Amino acid sequence: MEELVPVVCPWCSVGCRLYIVSVNGHPRKIEWDYDHPNTPNRGKLCPKGVASYQFTISPDRLKKPLIKRNGKFEEVSWEEAIRYVAQKFKEIIEENGPEALAFLGSERCSLEDNYVLQKLARALGTNNVEFAGRLCQSSNFVARSKVFGSPAQTNPFDDIVKSKVILVWGYNPAETNPVLFGQYFEKALDNGAKMIVVDPIKTKTAKFADIHLQPYPGTDLAVALAMLNHIIKNELYDKKFVEERTDNFEELAKSVEEYTPEWAEKVSGVPAEMIKRAAELLATGGNATIVLNEGVNQHANGTMTALAIANLIAITGNIGKEGVFSGVIPGAHCGLCAAVPGVNCAQLPGPVPLNEENAKKFSELWGFEVPREPGLHYQAIFKAMAEGKVKGIFIMGQNPARSLANSSLIEEALEKAFVVVSDIFPTETTKFADVILPAASWYEKTGTVITQNRRVMRSFRAIKPPGEAKPDWEILVMLARELGVGEYFNYSSVDDILREINRAIPALKGATPERLNSNLEGCFYPCPDEESETPRLFLKGFPTKTGRAQLTPVKWVQPGEVPDEEYPLWLTNFRQVGHFHTGTMSMRSKSLIKRWPESFLMINPEDAKALGIRDGDRVRVETRRGSLVVRAMVTDRIRKGVVAMPWHWGVNFLTKDDAIDEFSKMPELKAVACRVTKEVVE
Amino acid sequence: MSKKIFIDFKRCIGCRACEVACEMEHGEARIRVFEFPDLTTIPFNCRHCEKAPCLEVCPTGALYRDQDGAVAFDPLKCIGCLMCAVACPFGVPKIDEVNKIMDKCDLCSERRAEGKLPACVSSCPTEALKFGEINEVLWDREGSFVSRLKEARERGEKEPIYLL
Repeated sequence: MEELVPVVCPWCSVGCRLYIVSVNGHPRKIEWDYDHPNTPNRGKLCPKGVASYQFTISPDRLKKPLIKRNGKFEEVSWEEAIRYVAQKFKEIIEENGPEALAFLGSERCSLEDNYVLQKLARALGTNNVEFAGRLCQSSNFVARSKVFGSPAQTNPFDDIVKSKVILVWGYNPAETNPVLFGQYFEKALDNGAKMIVVDPIKTKTAKFADIHLQPYPGTDLAVALAMLNHIIKNELYDKKFVEERTDNFEELAKSVEEYTPEWAEKVSGVPAEMIKRAAELLATGGNATIVLNEGVNQHANGTMTALAIANLIAITGNIGKEGVFSGVIPGAHCGLCAAVPGVNCAQLPGPVPLNEENAKKFSELWGFEVPREPGLHYQAIFKAMAEGKVKGIFIMGQNPARSLANSSLIEEALEKAFVVVSDIFPTETTKFADVILPAASWYEKTGTVITQNRRVMRSFRAIKPPGEAKPDWEILVMLARELGVGEYFNYSSVDDILREINRAIPALKGATPERLNSNLEGCFYPCPDEESETPRLFLKGFPTKTGRAQLTPVKWVQPGEVPDEEYPLWLTNFRQVGHFHTGTMSMRSKSLIKRWPESFLMINPEDAKALGIRDGDRVRVETRRGSLVVRAMVTDRIRKGVVAMPWHWGVNFLTKDDAIDEFSKMPELKAVACRVTKEVVE
Repeated sequence: MSKKIFIDFKRCIGCRACEVACEMEHGEARIRVFEFPDLTTIPFNCRHCEKAPCLEVCPTGALYRDQDGAVAFDPLKCIGCLMCAVACPFGVPKIDEVNKIMDKCDLCSERRAEGKLPACVSSCPTEALKFGEINEVLWDREGSFVSRLKEARERGEKEPIYLL
């Protein structure tokens, strides 16, 4: 029987809808969803979306539970695997206490999966529960929470089209979110909007820019500070907004006094004139869209940069009204599905901070005592594992062995602990696993997704899982029963879990299974009841103590590592349109790997000439942590003194883990010192 | 008037969604995106020419014009003589190495029969690919140009403005 199953695309966070044409549970092709014009993509899809079910039918899929015995993986039954994991976990809890366990959630799994995961961790008595958002959005999360009281994207995408100025900072929507770029950014440009791009690389987005600032990686903080300085000094800010809706303006003005555009030119290499022009355009050009991404987030000074930009947004009055837009557009489609149900060492579902009052509330709701001590954050979990303090870890759909900074150290940590991985493919991490549990992929389960635009939508099961693979929430419920906490996990379907989430999280109360099943366009979170939704935030006030935006003083912080004589070049990384994160899924997609087959190094012609490198040569890229050999691509698209690689092919092997942002615990992932040498083939 | 795929090179971001969509539909991409070092990207597909050289030289009548005006293709009649490839000024028809017959864009005749857009057009996130009649597309373009001129004139009342 052929049927059209409505699903949400599993890649980036725009939240595109499409149909899978499914024949008896087998995918035949995809079909574009032009039936729901209010969904963000209006039917359009990028190459990843079009090829999106290819990875699910890859022959590499994990089909049966595996246990490692004598260094080899053996196929076992579900019962045996779960019993083995439960027994090991029980031993660890008895010997070392529940803090010796850790759980990793995933931005690739549904709201329900993540909710059950953090509940299980807390039922066992540990708050060591984290997900990769720590390496992705946490800098902005901290900064925007501080200034605006909430990190969320403020407006619906439609407001982008209404803006007159677009500031894109450390972000390349044309490659990372083509649908968003084509359907909203390009339409704003058609309407005469001006675009400012801040990026060391001339990206496909920068091709459309009116002003392109190219700072050295990690020094964009200087540019942001100089913009604040210029706007405040020349009184270009929105005086009415600053007076009515912000606090601490004087402190902010004082903190940026010395950061002139001329100073920023020396630090970042961007001409002072261009910084001034950009600042003037942003402040006086009219309604602005301000979007940021990993180029801001993944730095050891990322929170400071994010804070400076949040201040910029506030003093130019580009928030809390119709026709403006600001926010971060993260990589994965379900980041909020992990953040909202509290997959975080110091937050409970909501997300609300882990304190006595909230812990008590959830203890009553769930029926067991929620541990009060905050757990370890992402990097700290692996540090504790290497030290032997964390002895067991349950990893749901994550690949830390490749995605974390200085990944060789992570491998050491994984070798020491009892590692359970539930995933859809063998990854770098599963090599270190003691038990591998085959999970159902996104199209093989029904689940709720909260895209970054705060849209809550349902995706339905379109394909049969291969072999004995199961949805993650079923695996977790089985494990919970075996661990003796099954009474708190009486779920028989995804809808049961969502109903409990409706009760646990007030902002999601209105996102009931009935509403989401019948309304495929979904609703904007927060939705306190079944009729309401919130497309625009902060129209009246900010969720801060005073109800006004809290301008925060900022200061210059060095990036984690700067070039020196030994390692004279800056190395940064970027994404390609055809690949996704560490490539576990996209590199198993035939159409994608064929078009984006391998890593390369972008290098400026002048640098290349000095090093004797020609286009297509094999070069060795070396940092203090390790080295890789790739092909060189000599191009004007990158500024002198900087080289860049796509990050899908394990670049984090080279990045730095000991420079960590003091506020967000973000390691320095985007700016390291390196040297490049031509590789001579003997 | 027949409907064709028109390409707005200015809008293209080279994401290759069209290629992947075509490949998913036909097994092989019949549209190709060319990328140049300066970031210019050009998606290129069959033009379905009004006087189609490929169709005119085809000795077996494997190439024919369907009711919507697309240069479509009957695989059973093709003998793989490559005449169409030689005649095409754009190098569009490609040989299918396995079956030794030619393969080219037919504007997704199966999808059109169901009232859907060709796959590449359905997908294109920036709407660089448009499916329509030439006059519609031209009027659209002219319309937006005229509106921009009008806007420029209004702005010009306050500040100097140059029309190029």
